[in-house]
Amino acid sequence: MIDLNERISEKKNFFNRLVFVYIFFGFLFLYLIYKTFSLQVSSYTDYEIASLKNKTREILIQPRRGIIYDRNGQIIVNNVPSYNLIIKPSEVKDLDSVLLSIKQIIDIPDSQIDNIKDSYKTKKKLNRELILKKNLNNEEIAKFEVRKYKYPSLFIAERYSRENAYSNLFSHSVGYVGNASESNVQEILSLQDLTPKETIFLYSNGYLSGKTGLEYIYDRELRGLYGKKIFEVDASGKLLKEIEMIPSIDGENIYTSLDLKAQKVAFDKLNNRRGAVVAVDLKNGSIVSYVSSPSFSVNNITSGLSQEEFDKLLNDENKPFFDRAGQGRYSPASTIKPAIGLFGLETGLIDWRFTIEDIGYFTLPEDGRIYRGWKEGGHGKINLQDAIIESSNTFFFSLAYQTEVEELIEYLSNFGFGQNVCSDCFFPDRGLLPSPIWKMNTHNFGWFKGDTVNLGVGQGYLSATPLQLAYYSAFIANKGTLNYLSFVPDNKVKTKNNFISNNINDNDWKKIHQSMIGVIESPRGTAGRLKNLKEYIIAAKSGTVELVSTETKEDYKIIRETEGKRDHAIIVAFGPMPEPKYAVSVVIENGESGGSVAGPVAIGVLNSLINNE
Amino acid sequence: MNKIINSLKSKIYFDKYIFISITMLSLMGLIFLYSASDGNTSTVVKQSFFVLFGLILMFVVSQPDPDFYKNNSLIFLIISIILILLTLLIGKEVNGAKRWLDLGVFTLQTSEIIKISLPIFLAAYLYDKTLPINLFETFLTLFLILLIVNLVRIQPDLGTSLVILIAGLYILFLAGLSWRFIGVSSGIFILSLPFIWNNFLEPFQRQRILTLLDPTADPFGSGWNITQSKIAIGSGGIQGKGYQMGSQAHLDFLPETETDFIFSVIAEEFGFIGVCILLAVFFFILIRCLYLALNARDRFCRLTIGGLSLLFLSTIFINLAMVVGIIPVVGMPLPFISKGGSSLLSFYIAFGIIISMASHKKLMQK
Repeated sequence: MIDLNERISEKKNFFNRLVFVYIFFGFLFLYLIYKTFSLQVSSYTDYEIASLKNKTREILIQPRRGIIYDRNGQIIVNNVPSYNLIIKPSEVKDLDSVLLSIKQIIDIPDSQIDNIKDSYKTKKKLNRELILKKNLNNEEIAKFEVRKYKYPSLFIAERYSRENAYSNLFSHSVGYVGNASESNVQEILSLQDLTPKETIFLYSNGYLSGKTGLEYIYDRELRGLYGKKIFEVDASGKLLKEIEMIPSIDGENIYTSLDLKAQKVAFDKLNNRRGAVVAVDLKNGSIVSYVSSPSFSVNNITSGLSQEEFDKLLNDENKPFFDRAGQGRYSPASTIKPAIGLFGLETGLIDWRFTIEDIGYFTLPEDGRIYRGWKEGGHGKINLQDAIIESSNTFFFSLAYQTEVEELIEYLSNFGFGQNVCSDCFFPDRGLLPSPIWKMNTHNFGWFKGDTVNLGVGQGYLSATPLQLAYYSAFIANKGTLNYLSFVPDNKVKTKNNFISNNINDNDWKKIHQSMIGVIESPRGTAGRLKNLKEYIIAAKSGTVELVSTETKEDYKIIRETEGKRDHAIIVAFGPMPEPKYAVSVVIENGESGGSVAGPVAIGVLNSLINNE
Repeated sequence: MNKIINSLKSKIYFDKYIFISITMLSLMGLIFLYSASDGNTSTVVKQSFFVLFGLILMFVVSQPDPDFYKNNSLIFLIISIILILLTLLIGKEVNGAKRWLDLGVFTLQTSEIIKISLPIFLAAYLYDKTLPINLFETFLTLFLILLIVNLVRIQPDLGTSLVILIAGLYILFLAGLSWRFIGVSSGIFILSLPFIWNNFLEPFQRQRILTLLDPTADPFGSGWNITQSKIAIGSGGIQGKGYQMGSQAHLDFLPETETDFIFSVIAEEFGFIGVCILLAVFFFILIRCLYLALNARDRFCRLTIGGLSLLFLSTIFINLAMVVGIIPVVGMPLPFISKGGSSLLSFYIAFGIIISMASHKKLMQK
C-alpha cells in the first residue's frame, strides 16, 4: 500500500512539474504569437514599405535639354547625337576574347581597356551597361554594323552632346553648359523631390547645368524634368526586371530675340578687336545682337579643354572670357550729350534758341581751370542742335556747370546709367553713376564743381556698359519709354520704364533726333564719314573716351605710341529715321575715333537688321 | 479476413494522432521547402526521401517494447559519445565548424543522436532510484550532462549544445529535483554569466547576442539577418504575399531560407493565418504528448515522453524566437519543416520511441 501511495504521489508530482513547464512555455508562445501579430498586423504597413524598398530600385532618366533658337527660328544650340559602343557585361562569357576581337575593327586605347576591365566585374554583377568607346565616327559605326552578328553582347547607342551651331558667335550671350557639381545635382533633383542616384544619361557628359549666359539664366526651363525607371532588384542590387517607368519631360525650347545675321555682322565687323556691340529691338526692348570680342569656342569648353588650353585662354591679354558687353565699364564720353541737352531743356536752363560763344574751351570760374574742346579755336556761336552735331564740349561744360549735380544724376539714372537695365542678362554690371556721397565714401574727397563739368561731356567718374549704352540709345530713340532689355521677349514680366517729364514734349524729342541725324548727315557732323556706308537715315552720337588726359595734340601723339593708352571709340545709333526700329551701341577699345572706327560697325549692324525686317 | 486484420492490428504498435499529424507536418514542410529553395526540385526530392525514410524509421522504432530502450540505453549513450568524439577527430569541417561525420551516402550530425540518447539514458538511470534522487546522484547526472554539452559546444555548435543541456535538465526536473537545489544552482548560474560570456562564447556568438539587443546598429553586418527576417515576417501581413511570391525570400534578402529562417518564408508567403495554422499543428502534437506522458505505463516512459516532448517544444520555441528577433541567432532548425537530414531523422526517432511507449501496455504495472 505504501508503495502504491508513493507511486501516486510521484505521479502527481510528475504531473505538476510537466504541466508547469507546459504552462511556462504556453506563456512564452503567447508572447511569440503576440510578437508575430505585432509584426504582421500592427506594424504591417511599415514592414510592407520596407520590403518594397528592399526589392525596388529607382534609376533616374535624364531629360533632353531645350533647344535655343534665334528670332527667325534658326537653331543656335542643339543636342547633337554621338554614338557610343556599349557592352552588356551580363551577356559576356569571356571579356578578353571579345575585347581582342573588337579591337581588330575599332581602335580602343589601352588605357580605356584597363578601365573597362576594372569596372567589368561590378557592372556584370549588377546587370549594368559599360561604355567601350565614345564618339564613334561613321567609319567605325559602319565597320561594326556589318559585323554586328558576331558580337551579341555589344551594341551602339546614341548619346547626346550639347553643341552650339556657331561656336564663337554667342559665347557671351547664350553661354555654355558644363558638368553639374555634386551640390548642383542635389539642388536640381531636390526640386523634383529626388535625391542623386544612379541615372540613365542622355548626354555623354552626364549631368549638365548652364554655366553662363542664357544657358545659366534659363537653366531651369531648359533642363526639363527627370523621369525614372523602377526596377526589381535582388539583395545584391542586381537589376531583375523593369516594373514601372515614368518618362522624363524634355526641357522647354527657348526662342530668343537674337538675330543670327546681325550677330554675324557685328562679330565680323569687330574682327577680333577688343570691343562690344549690343543692339536692341525698340518694339519691346529685346536684345537682337550681343557680342563681346574677342570671343572663344563654347563647344570646346563644353566638351572639355585641356588645362593648358584653358590656361591659355584665361591668361590671354585680350581676355576672351570677359563679357565686355555686359560687364565692361566705359565712359560714355560725348554720347552723353543728348541726355545733358535734354536735362537743360527739362530744367529750363536752355531752350533750342539758346546759344553760347564757343571759344574752344571753358574756364571754371572758381579756380580758372581750363576745360578744352576738341576743336582748336572753338565752334563760335552755337545752339544745342549744333552742339550735338559738332560735339561742342564748351557748350556742355557750361551747361553742366549751371546744373545742380544731384538733379542731374537723378535725371541720368532714367536713361539707365548706374541701373540694371536687363531682366535676363548674365550678371550685368551697373556701371558707375557717381554722386557726391559716392565720391566722399570711396575717394574721401568732396565733390568739385569740375566733376559736374566733366559729367557734362561724359568723362570723369561716370561709366557705363555697352549694354547700358544700348539701353540709353534705345530710350532716346523711343522718346523716353522702354521695357527692360531681354533676350527672350514676353518670357518674363517686364515693367515699362516711362520717362517722367514735365517739360520735354514730342517736338523736343524730334529735335534731339534731328540733331543726332545731323551727326551723320550734316556737313559739320562728327560722323560724316558714315554717310556713304548707311542705307537708311540713321541717328547717332559718337564719342571718344580719353584714357589719358592730354593738353595738346602733340602730347596725344606721344601717348598713342602705346596701344593700350589710345582713346576708346564709342557710338550709339538708331534708325531708320524718322520711325526708328533698332538701336545699337558699339565700343571699340583703343579704337580712337567713335565716328570712323565704331561707327561702321554700328551702321553695319543696323543695315543688317533693317534689311532683314 | 477480419480476424487476420485484427490480429495484425494487435501486433502493430501505433498512435494514429501523432502519426497523422507528423505526416501532415512533413508534407507541409515539403511544400514550404519548395518555395524556400526557390523551386529547387532536387532539394525537395532529397528531402522527400528523408521524410519517407523518417516515417518508416518512426514506425520501425515504435515496434519494440519500451523495455528494449530502457535496457540498452547505456549502450546507445556510449555509441553516441563515441560518435561525438569521432566527429571531433575526423569530422567534416564546414565554415569553421566540425559537426558532421561523412558516412558516404549521408553526412551525420552526431550531436543530433545524443540529443535523443542522453534523455533516454537519464530516464532509464532514474527508473529504479528513490525519488527525489540524492545529492550524489544529482551531481553525477549533472556532470554527465555538462560533459556531453561541452563536447558539442566545442565543435562549435551552441544551438544544439543548448538543446542537449535543456533535454537533460528536463529529465532531472521531471524526476523531482528539489526546488531548493534548482534555486541555488540557478543563482550560481546567473552569477557566473559574466564568466561564461568571457570564456565559453566565441566572438561571433557574443556579437549575435549584442546584435539582438540592437539590430539596427549594424543593419548590413550582423544585424542584417534579424532585420531582413522581421521585414519578411512583417510584410507578410494577415494573408501573406502568396505561395512563392515572397520577395524577401526569393530576392535573396533573407538568409538561410531553407533551414533556420524557413519560418520567415512561411510567414511572408502565408501571413499570420499561415503562422497560426502551422502553430496549431505543433500544439496538437504537444498536447497529445502531454496526454501520453500523463498516462504512461511506468516512470521510464513518463520521464522519456515528458523529456522528449519538452525537447521538441523547446526546439520549436528557440527557432521561432530567433527568427522574430526575441533571442540571438543560433543555428536551430524548425522540426519537420527545415531542410536537413540528421535533425529531421532524430525527431522521427524521438516520436517513434514516444509511440512505442504510448502503445505498449503492461498488464502488471510496477
